[in-house]
Amino acid sequence: MSETPTPMLRAVNVHKSFGRHEVLRGISLEVLPGEVMCLLGPSGSGKSTFLRCVNHLETTDRGRIYVDDELIGGRLHNGKIYELKDKAICKSRVKMGMVFQHFNLFPHMTVLGNLIEGPVHVKREPKEVAVDRARTLLARVGLTDKEDNYPRQLSGGQQQRVAIARALAMEPKLMLFDEPTSALDPELVGEVLSVMKDLAQSGMTMLVVTHEIGFARGVAHKVGLMDGGVIVESGSPADVLDNSSNERTRSFLSKVPS
Amino acid sequence: MTDDAEQVVPLRHYGRWISGAIILFLLWLLVLAFARGQIDWPVVGEFFMAPVLLKGLGNTILVTCLSILIGLILGVIFAIMRLSSNPVTNMVASLYIWLFRGTPVYLQLLIWFNLALVFPEINLGFWHARMVDVMTPFLAALLGLGINEGAYMTEIVRGGIISVDRGQLDAASAIGMTRLMAMRRIVLPQAMRVIIPPVGNEFIGLLKTSSMASAIAYTELLHRAQLIYFVNAKVMELLMVAAGWYLIVVTILTIIQTYIERYFSRGQSHETEPSLLSRLWVNLIRRRRAAGGAAAQQGGYR
Repeated sequence: MSETPTPMLRAVNVHKSFGRHEVLRGISLEVLPGEVMCLLGPSGSGKSTFLRCVNHLETTDRGRIYVDDELIGGRLHNGKIYELKDKAICKSRVKMGMVFQHFNLFPHMTVLGNLIEGPVHVKREPKEVAVDRARTLLARVGLTDKEDNYPRQLSGGQQQRVAIARALAMEPKLMLFDEPTSALDPELVGEVLSVMKDLAQSGMTMLVVTHEIGFARGVAHKVGLMDGGVIVESGSPADVLDNSSNERTRSFLSKVPS
Repeated sequence: MTDDAEQVVPLRHYGRWISGAIILFLLWLLVLAFARGQIDWPVVGEFFMAPVLLKGLGNTILVTCLSILIGLILGVIFAIMRLSSNPVTNMVASLYIWLFRGTPVYLQLLIWFNLALVFPEINLGFWHARMVDVMTPFLAALLGLGINEGAYMTEIVRGGIISVDRGQLDAASAIGMTRLMAMRRIVLPQAMRVIIPPVGNEFIGLLKTSSMASAIAYTELLHRAQLIYFVNAKVMELLMVAAGWYLIVVTILTIIQTYIERYFSRGQSHETEPSLLSRLWVNLIRRRRAAGGAAAQQGGYR
């Protein structure tokens, strides 16, 4: 066991309530560097909320989340976690890239503007450096000729690929994907998944909330199935997706196309 | 295939032509009535470029522009305070809006101007002065109009900020922006699209409201016009001059607003509506030119 490297992401017993409704009821998981983990589960099971807790877009009530060995959103002291200030949280967020269901590109900026916004204004990199990297990333997601377009002028699939490039422009160690293909027309899903697959093969650590069973089976190293705010089962894709003995897993998988 | 592709003839709007003609006729009657009425039109022409009035116009424009600027700055600050999760700043902003939106501008102008009655002297330790010397009509007008405007702007800016999709703030946070930077770089520029039209409205409104500053002896356009007609008794003539100047400035402002709106709606799919004039241009003149009208570009402004 001493061979095990430090996990890139480690969640320990994370709890979260919205008012009286407890959305996360003790989530624990680990993602090792270079690993891809997919979180599956019915809507309302807390997958997206957990993902948002990882980069502290949502606060947690109890439990710890470590990214690259750093406690996210708080400081441990006397058995309690003291919330950090906005600035400190922003600093730890830079380590993670996030891709949203609805892309959330900045509509008032060109594609290139979207990509260099973070590097130039948050990381304070020289503009030329940021532009160079942005162009490399656009080539990587196959959108070299779109750098001067505005997001509205692109298809959903292209917008999501730009969003992935925007997240990568910050050179994150961990990528979070929140249902990246759920808002796309069916014929556009493939292009986004193939960019994600390339990214996975390049060794990026990824946590992906998705309904794409095929992607989970083909790309993920680990699959977790969430229901009712807990992870009901996790393991290799083969174990969870094909040979599960868990009642809730089987019931969920029987309802989604794979 | 071309044989079946019959050309579509756009619906002819005869009603519009008829009603247009009727309105033009009524307008002509009105103009005629004023032309023949007891107004000494040469006097209007004579005073139109009078330096005294032009200086008043300059003062009107100056105090309007500065007040709008003060209003915008206060509006942005208080809107962000209003939307903050901090209950103290939130309440301060609400109080500000309540106080300055709840009393007439006219009354506020009088209070600023007469502030010397309450505080005869200003003493900041290193600097002191008599209030009557400091609170000139100009400063009183500026403070009264600007701070009052800020209260309205706060609500306009707040509406603009709320109109921006929450996902934008998420995305900005996710690339590591602090709340304030996300506001400045991401949310406000998008809010501007919603904010600009009502601000244009406020600008035009304020240009006219600034005439109230004549009550505190600020020598703006209307005040100057009044001073002149008190002497020469050409009341209507001078009011016409003032009306003409207000209309000219408002027209210029409206044109500027169109361009600003266009700038802030970049990247949005629906462009700003073309103005009535440019629509007329496209419909009447270009259509004629494209003889036969085969490719009449409906609203060909793209």
